[in-house]
Amino acid sequence: MSFIESTVTMSYGKVSRLLKVLRIAPPEPPCRPIHLTAACSKVSSGRYKVTRSKNKPLTYEQANPPHYLFVRKGFNSFNTSNLKDGVRPSESAMEDMFIRKFISGTWHNMFLSEVIIKRQLNMIRISGIVVRNILPRKMYFLIGYTEEMLTNWLQCPVKLELQTTDSREDVVFKYI
Amino acid sequence: MLSLCFLPARAAVPSARLVCVRAASGQPAAGRTDDPQFRPLDIGRRREVVQQARERRRATLPPPRHERQPVNQQWGDVWPAPRTFHPDAVPLPLRQGFVKRPNAQAPPGKHANAELMKIANFLHLTPPVIERQCRALAKFCTPWPEGLTDERLDELRPLEVITQDFLHASPTLRHPDARVVSLKVPLSCLDLTETDRDKLLRLVGDRHDPKTDVITLTADRCPLRRQNRDYALYLLTVLYFESCKREPWEAELRTVADAEKFVWAGSASEAAVAPLGAAADVVNSYGEAVTRLHNEGEDESTLAEYRKAVVALLGLPEHVGAN
Repeated sequence: MSFIESTVTMSYGKVSRLLKVLRIAPPEPPCRPIHLTAACSKVSSGRYKVTRSKNKPLTYEQANPPHYLFVRKGFNSFNTSNLKDGVRPSESAMEDMFIRKFISGTWHNMFLSEVIIKRQLNMIRISGIVVRNILPRKMYFLIGYTEEMLTNWLQCPVKLELQTTDSREDVVFKYI
Repeated sequence: MLSLCFLPARAAVPSARLVCVRAASGQPAAGRTDDPQFRPLDIGRRREVVQQARERRRATLPPPRHERQPVNQQWGDVWPAPRTFHPDAVPLPLRQGFVKRPNAQAPPGKHANAELMKIANFLHLTPPVIERQCRALAKFCTPWPEGLTDERLDELRPLEVITQDFLHASPTLRHPDARVVSLKVPLSCLDLTETDRDKLLRLVGDRHDPKTDVITLTADRCPLRRQNRDYALYLLTVLYFESCKREPWEAELRTVADAEKFVWAGSASEAAVAPLGAAADVVNSYGEAVTRLHNEGEDESTLAEYRKAVVALLGLPEHVGAN
């Protein structure tokens, strides 16, 4: 037995009124918009807005936007993974992200600079500038804890080579 | 008595610290006397106390290392291994950083300078340290034997095994390309006849470099370098002995049309010239001319030689066909 399909043609207005009665959201009318003006591709990464009172402190690293990398700024992470015939680039990048998160969570607000990660042979050397707002004994514990936990997780020797300073103003390069 | 209701509307609810500082600042509020029984409540960390503690801590720190270290110390003992730059240990007055107006602002100093920490320093490899290391290694070094020149080495050791070792910063030593082994052999050191050599070159294909006459065999199919080296040597052995063997079907396959070079002996050209009955040396020179023409191509000298040989063979006068 075959059944005959019949198409019911209704105007768009009648359809939308019917759907409203039935409490169904009407589908969007088909349309394909185009850009009539140029897209404003504005880069805003790594840039800080100037304040009115000019009292926002910036470190040298923050004061130079990312396009000054390798011109006025150095890199924070050194490894051989991204050279030609280098091994494990993605693993190194993920490990770097993990190390940075771990350090920022363990050293509560104590790192005044970015975490600098250098890979040499099978070792990872982590450095940075830390403020001396806790007792030296606690700092020794934090260093040992960080080294031990990271060594166990990353399966290679991890060494912390920190520089300490007593005031946060030491790392300020300019105020904006 | 401090009355909170007289404060302006913005600072509606002052914190306990604010209240205490105002109380401790020494200005007695209206109606309040210095009553020893009712001391002011001090909950917060007062700024002066914190600052005094910081001053005390700073005072108890010893002076930085570069002010204490003796002038005649061994720098190699102070900085024995690669280490991140530390401003208190390095006595140099360094500055690092870009400033837009160097007349107005000095570049940042070495203290709390992250840029100086980022860059690799070679403070562990000063010239005296390098000299000391070289002197320690020198006793294990002997001079190169005089008679062992490059040519003599090529005679004694013609086989060259090439491997690559990779130094990289990673928890693992393994590198996937370190297992590849290349073998370079000059064909002149192999004992081959003409047909052997021909067969070997056909087997080897483009692994043979005609300019240097060297075969390069690369093995990377095994997981270990030793296995790849053994396989490459085995491959060379098999190639050599296979090229020395003759299969029965090889003779049938190879016809005159397959030859790379024209050979006079037994060719159709020789058979055509024989009925003329010319002298042997004339026939020989004609044979040489035809061989040169086929093998080296047509140019002035080969065509001239051919013309001369044909003229001599057919007994024609010299001026015939000149130019």
